[in-house]
Amino acid sequence: MSKELISRWYEKLSDAEKNLPLLIVGGVAYTPRAVYDEVMRDSPIGNQLQALVERGSFGTSYSDEQSIAKLRLTEIMRTKPEKPLFATLSGKVFTPSELLQEIQNDTDVGRQWVENEASHMRRIVSVR
Amino acid sequence: MILTPALQNTFLFAEPQKHYINYGSVVLHDIVSKNRQAGQIITELIGDDANADRIKQELATIQPIVFCLIAHGNINVVSCECTQKLFDTSSTDLNLLADKICSLTSCLTAVNLGPAIMDAGAVVYTGYKTEFWFYIGDDPGTTRAVNSPFLAEFVFVGSLLRGKTAGDARADQLLKYDEEINYWISGDGKNQTDAMELSRILEMNKTNSVFLGEGSIAPSPRASVLAAGISPILMFPLGLLAVGYFIYKELR
Repeated sequence: MSKELISRWYEKLSDAEKNLPLLIVGGVAYTPRAVYDEVMRDSPIGNQLQALVERGSFGTSYSDEQSIAKLRLTEIMRTKPEKPLFATLSGKVFTPSELLQEIQNDTDVGRQWVENEASHMRRIVSVR
Repeated sequence: MILTPALQNTFLFAEPQKHYINYGSVVLHDIVSKNRQAGQIITELIGDDANADRIKQELATIQPIVFCLIAHGNINVVSCECTQKLFDTSSTDLNLLADKICSLTSCLTAVNLGPAIMDAGAVVYTGYKTEFWFYIGDDPGTTRAVNSPFLAEFVFVGSLLRGKTAGDARADQLLKYDEEINYWISGDGKNQTDAMELSRILEMNKTNSVFLGEGSIAPSPRASVLAAGISPILMFPLGLLAVGYFIYKELR
C-alpha cells in the first residue's frame, strides 16, 4: 500500500480524465483528482479509494456502472465543438450532441459507446 | 466462370474516396507505398476505379492472394465507391473470393457476410462485427487523430506485404491497436483535445474486430523464401552475374 502508486497512477492520466467521475465509495462518485486529494490527506475514504485503485476495481454495481459511463460520456461530449466529429463505415455521421442523443435514447450505437465506456473505466483504474 | 488458384505476391487494394471513405483510403495508400516489396504485383483501384465491375474483373483476372477493401457495409452487404453494392450474402459470384485473404474494413460484415465469404472458399476473412468508428474532426490524412483508427487497422495488410503470415499480421494489428490506445490514454497524445474520443474509438474497433480462417498462410514469402523457390536452372546464371559484379568492382 503506497501513496507513490496513487501518485504515479494519477500523473499518467490526462488532465481531462482526472476530472471525470470514476470510483464509487458509499454511493459517491470520485474523480481521479478527488481520489488523489483524499489519499494524500490520509482520510478514511482515501484508504478505501486507494484500495480500489490498487485492485484495479471501481467498486460499483452494473447499473451504477452504466449510469457513471453515461455521465462521463455526457461530460466529454459537452466540451466538444458542435460539428461532425464521428463517422462509421456504415455511413453514419454524428456531431457530439447527436451522439449524446443516441446514448440517451439507448440505441445500438448509444449502447456500444456506454458498454465501451465501462471497459474504458476499468482500463483507466488499471493504468500503471 | 472458371477461376485459377490465387497467386502469391499478388495484391488487390480497393480504395474508394467518397462518403468519408477517403479518411481511410489515404492511410491505406500510404501503408501500401511504405510496405510494398520488390517482386510483388500490386493493383490499387482508387476513387471511381473502385467500382463493382472493375473490382470483380481484377479479382477474376489477376487472382490476388490478398484482397483488401475499405468501404461502407452492413451485416449482409459490402459496397465500393459511392456506396455501390459489391457483394452480399446471396451474391452468386462470392467464389471470386475463393483462396484469398479478404480484409474488409467496413462495418458489421463479420455478422453474416464474412462467414458467407469463408463458406465460398476464402482462406482468411477480417472485418468488424459492429460499427467501425473513425474521427473526422480534421481533414483526411492531416493529423494523427484522423489517421489513428486506420493506422491500427491497416497494420494487418502492411505486415502481409512484408511477408508475414496472416496470423502474425493479425497479432501485429492487435499490438498496434494497444499502442494507439495507450498513446491517447497515457502517452504523448493524452492531453490533445481529441484524445478522449480517439481512445474510445480505438477501443471499440479493437473489441469488435474479427479474424476468421487460417493463420499460417503467408501471401508474400520473405526474400529468403523466395530465393529458395528459384529454379536451379536460374541459380547458375544468377551466381555468375554476382561473381562478375564483384570482379568488376575489384578491377575498377
